[in-house]
Amino acid sequence: MAAVNQSARSRNGKFPVWRWVILLIAGVYFLLPLYAALRFAGVKAFGSVFTQPGFGAALWTSVQIAVMTWAITMALMVPTTIYVHLRLPAMRRFLESITILPIVIPPIVLTVGVLQVFPTQLKATMWLLGIEYVILAMPFAYRAIDAGLRSIDLKTLTEASTNLGASWVTTVRRVILPNLGTALLSSTVLIVALCLGEFTMASLNLVTTFPVWIVETDQLNANISVSASLIALVVTWLFLMLIVMIGSRRGRRTGAGEVNLFSVTANTKTIGES
Amino acid sequence: MATNKVATAAGTAAVAADGPAEGARGGTSVSLRELTRAFGASRALDGMSLEIAPGELVALLGPSGCGKTTALRIVAGFETADTGEVLIDGKDVSGMPAAKRDMGMVFQSYSLFPNMSALDNVAFGLRMRKVSGSARSAKAGELLEMVGLSAQAKQFPHQLSGGQQQRVALARALAIEPRVLLLDEPLSALDAKVRLQLREQIRTLQQRLGTTTLFVTHDQEEALSMADRVGVMRAGKLEQVAVPDELYARPATPFVAEFVGTMNRLPGDLGNGGTEVTVLGTTVPVQPGGPASGAVDVLVRPENLTVTPADGGDGIVSSRTFLGSITRLSVLLSGDTELKIDVASIHAAAMIPGTAVRVGIPSEPVLVAPRAS
Repeated sequence: MAAVNQSARSRNGKFPVWRWVILLIAGVYFLLPLYAALRFAGVKAFGSVFTQPGFGAALWTSVQIAVMTWAITMALMVPTTIYVHLRLPAMRRFLESITILPIVIPPIVLTVGVLQVFPTQLKATMWLLGIEYVILAMPFAYRAIDAGLRSIDLKTLTEASTNLGASWVTTVRRVILPNLGTALLSSTVLIVALCLGEFTMASLNLVTTFPVWIVETDQLNANISVSASLIALVVTWLFLMLIVMIGSRRGRRTGAGEVNLFSVTANTKTIGES
Repeated sequence: MATNKVATAAGTAAVAADGPAEGARGGTSVSLRELTRAFGASRALDGMSLEIAPGELVALLGPSGCGKTTALRIVAGFETADTGEVLIDGKDVSGMPAAKRDMGMVFQSYSLFPNMSALDNVAFGLRMRKVSGSARSAKAGELLEMVGLSAQAKQFPHQLSGGQQQRVALARALAIEPRVLLLDEPLSALDAKVRLQLREQIRTLQQRLGTTTLFVTHDQEEALSMADRVGVMRAGKLEQVAVPDELYARPATPFVAEFVGTMNRLPGDLGNGGTEVTVLGTTVPVQPGGPASGAVDVLVRPENLTVTPADGGDGIVSSRTFLGSITRLSVLLSGDTELKIDVASIHAAAMIPGTAVRVGIPSEPVLVAPRAS
C-alpha cells in the first residue's frame, strides 16, 4: 500500500515539473514577441493608432467582410450539414474530405483561380473577397456544426417535432438551431477570427482590410503598425473570450454542449438506437 | 403471471378516474393492410395486416429485426410502405405527411427538446396547432399533472431522470389529443423498477383516455401485461394476434410458443396421419396446423408436464429452483433431453437433484414442430 502511494506521489511529483517547463517554453515563445513588440512600439504609439489615416476604413471593411462571410457560410453550411446528417449519412465522410480542401490548397492558388474566372466588376472588391473567405471558412464551419449535430439525437428530435405537427422550417428553427447554439457560436468565433486576420488573399485581391492596412502602415510608421497589431490581437482575443463565455453560460442553463473553439462537447444524455 | 395483477390495478384506476378527460378522442380505428417494405435485400415487412379496434392497446412483440418498428414507423408516417395501406378510421393515410397525421409518439431514446422546459415540451404540439399561449400552458400543465410531474414543469430535460423524461414525452404525445398513440419501446432504456411503474401508468392513462394505441416491444412481459391483444411478429409477418392468455395457452405456431414464455421440446413420433403423436410413452392428440409426417418435437409448457419420483424412471432431477409457491425442476431424460417442469413446492421437497423420476404428459392436444436439428 505504502509503496503504491509512494510511486503515485513520485509520479505526481514529476508531472508538475514537466508541465511547468512546457508552460514556460510555450509562454516565452508566445509572450516574448508580444513584449518585444510592446517595447518597440512604445506606449505613446497606441493612442495615435486610432487617428491614423485609413485605420477606420480598413477596420470597417474587415468587419463588413466578416459579417458577410459569416452570413453566407451559415446560410450554406447549416442546411447542408443538417440535410447530410438526416438524409445522406453515408455522404458525411465525403463532405468532410471536401470541406478540408481549402486548408490543403494554398490561398494563392485559390485566389489566382478565382481571379481568372470571376467577372471584372467584382475584382478588387470586398464582395469577391468575402466570397473567397466563405471557402476558407467552410472547413471550420462544417466541423463545428457537424460536431454540434453529433452531440444531439438529431433523427429522434426531428421525428418528435414532425410527429407533433411541426413543418420542416419550424423544426429547424425551433428545435435544431436552438440546440446547435454552441456549435454555431464556435463557428462564428472561427469565422470572425479568420476574417479579421487573413492577409494573403486580401492583399492579392487588392482590398485594404485591417491586416493589409497594418502591413501598409508598417512601411510608413513601424511603431504605429506594431501597436495596431497588438490592439487587434487583444481586441480579437477579448471578443472570442466574450463569445465563449456567453456560450458556456447558455450551455449550463439548458444542459447543452460546452463551447470550445474547435469542438462542442456533448452533455446531453442520449441512447443509441435500437 | 404478473398479467392479472397489472390488469386489475389498471382496471381499478380506470374506474376510479373521474371519467374520460375532456376532448379525448376514443373512437379511432387503425387498420394495416398487406404492408410490405424492403430495405435492400431484406424484407422488413412481408404482407403484414392488423386491425386495431377503437380504444384498444395492441402490442407488437418480436425479436429485433422482425419488422415491428418498421410497422410502427409506417403508421407514424416516418417510413412508407412499398405496397399496402394504413387506414385510420377507414381513410387511407399513406400519402399524408407525418406532421399532419395527429399521432402522438413516444420514442425509445430520450426525445425531449433539450432547449425547452418540460412544460414547453408538452406545449409544443399545441403551439404547432396554434393554440393560444394561456390555453396552451393550462393544457400542458394539466398533462404534466396527469403524469405526476407538475413540480418539474420548469425543469429542462437534462435535469430530469430517465423515467421522468419518458413521462414528459408521454404527456407531450397525449397533449395533442392524438388519434392514435404510438409507443416505440418507450421503457427499454429505463431500469427495472421505473419500467414497472411507468408500464402501469401508461396503461392506466391509455384506458382512461381511451386512446387507440400501438405499442412496440421486444419484452414479452411488457406486452402481455399491458396489451389488450398482442401480435407476435417474425420476419415481417404476424404469426399470431391474440389476447395475452390465449397467446400463452394456445400459441398458433411453434415460433410463438417458444417466443412467449418457457417451452419444452420433446422428441415425438407422429401417427394416424399427423393427428396424434406419441411422446413419453403416451399418445396425445395434435393441434391442427403442424406437419403431417417426419421427425417432430412436441412443445409443452413446464406447468403442463407431470413428474413423480419413481425408481427406474426415465429421468433424473438435475437441479431445482425455488420460486415461491412453485419450484422449477430441471429433469434430464435419457437421450440428453433437458426439461423444465414446474411443480407445487410442497411436492418438490422429495425431489432433490439426483432423484430418479417419471415424467408424464396429460392427454390434451399439443403443438408439434419439425424436429430441431
